[in-house]
Amino acid sequence: MDVKKPIANPLIVLREEFDDWAILFDPDTGNAFGLNPTGVFIWKLLDGRHNPDDIVNRLREEADNVPEDAGEHARRFIASLEQQGLVGYEIEQGPGAGTGVRG
Amino acid sequence: MKLMRTPKKVDIDITNRCNLRCRYCYHFESAGDADGDGDLPAEEWLRFFGELNRCAVTEVTLAGGEPFLRGDLREIIRGVVENRMRFAILTNGTLITDEMAAFLASTKRCNYVQVSIDGSVPESHDAMRGRGSFARALQGLQALRRNGVRAAVRVTIHRKNVHDLEGIARFLLEDIGLGSFGTNSAGAMGLCRKNAEMVQLTVEDRILAMETLLRLSKQYNGRIQAMAGPLAEARTWLDMEDARLEGRPPMPDRGALTGCGCYRSSLSVRADGVITPCTMLSQIELGRINRDDLATLWREHGLLNALRERGHIPLSRFPFCEGCDYVPYCTGNCPGLSYTLAGEVNHPSPDACLRKFLAEGGRLPDRALLC
Ligand code: SF4
Ligand code: SF4
Repeated sequence: MDVKKPIANPLIVLREEFDDWAILFDPDTGNAFGLNPTGVFIWKLLDGRHNPDDIVNRLREEADNVPEDAGEHARRFIASLEQQGLVGYEIEQGPGAGTGVRG
Repeated sequence: MKLMRTPKKVDIDITNRCNLRCRYCYHFESAGDADGDGDLPAEEWLRFFGELNRCAVTEVTLAGGEPFLRGDLREIIRGVVENRMRFAILTNGTLITDEMAAFLASTKRCNYVQVSIDGSVPESHDAMRGRGSFARALQGLQALRRNGVRAAVRVTIHRKNVHDLEGIARFLLEDIGLGSFGTNSAGAMGLCRKNAEMVQLTVEDRILAMETLLRLSKQYNGRIQAMAGPLAEARTWLDMEDARLEGRPPMPDRGALTGCGCYRSSLSVRADGVITPCTMLSQIELGRINRDDLATLWREHGLLNALRERGHIPLSRFPFCEGCDYVPYCTGNCPGLSYTLAGEVNHPSPDACLRKFLAEGGRLPDRALLC
């Protein structure tokens, strides 16, 4: 079971534009990535307290007609964010550990 | 048209002081020349940057006056960086040291530093900016380039350098080796208005500047750019004239006061902390930093929303445009210049009026010169 709880890189700016669409802006590179409303919903839950299954469950609570394979889509989406350095994971160091971001 | 939830960019005059007094400066003696009680302390700007961060603003342009006059510029820039933004700086270049350029490079957040160079030799630059400023601006420019900071050169065209455009292009693109440079012309605001006789291009100068710049732009494969001024006008006006001659249908987003929509994506702040729609509209006071909520002001301010509705006002409504064949292809241009020259924001700008230019003896360049 995947228990990794992704956490958004705090340096990345979420700019919500129109109709719940948004861009993620990386100030270090100046690169911007477009997000659709589902992407925005997921991004806001990348707080180190939700794993991908939690996120999909929340999505099902909030939206109608969420497809069967939404979990797989969400995982792929998070993996692509990770690849681009927009998301990391909290380092598990046992009780009382710090909250460094890696990824 | 839909409105962004917050501005994307904010242009900030971080000082009202300058070490030069260029004869065509649009800042001094305009409403933007707002001293208040001197420069705002860095803490005020840092607090404001915190709000910009919360509003997800991604870029600030630091201008003035001369931004490098501020002894605490590094602190201000660190505040920009800490608040997840990138920045650009508009400068006369004369105060940039290697040390400062290295600092700018170290932040990795600098989009560009725009340096004004108006000549190929000291005479044409210094004529308007003051003796010694050419050499010092070049030193500043080279310090930026040595340290890997993207330097954007802006050439302001005026009466004393309009005959030196070939020399300027050769100097900047060949001798110095810039990838490109931008052009503009001395406008009709601030000190430029006061010194109009000495500074502003005559109709003959404008014809010369348009032809020369189009030719040079072609010769240098588009490495000369313009958002305003003779080169931009030449391209726009040739397009309007072609449309008229061919009897083309009205162009989308033309035929009304659609010129410039910067207040749909950005805001400006004067050196006294007053928020305005744009540096060219610095007489329109929308609020004050660290007092008024920026996101609310952005969405709800009546004057700002009225400006955004400007694009629905047809040019055919103005006696100024009566009977003009260019109406379906014209945008009415910059509202800041309209205000300065016609006394109203909601008016076409007489400065950028093609019909007026032709009526005063103007001539469009040969379209074969277009890239
Ligand atoms: S144009 Fe720039 S350098 Fe010249 S006086 Fe104005 S602010 Fe200073
Ligand atoms: S009169 Fe001037 S501003 Fe009005 S439509 Fe004609 S060209 Fe444009």
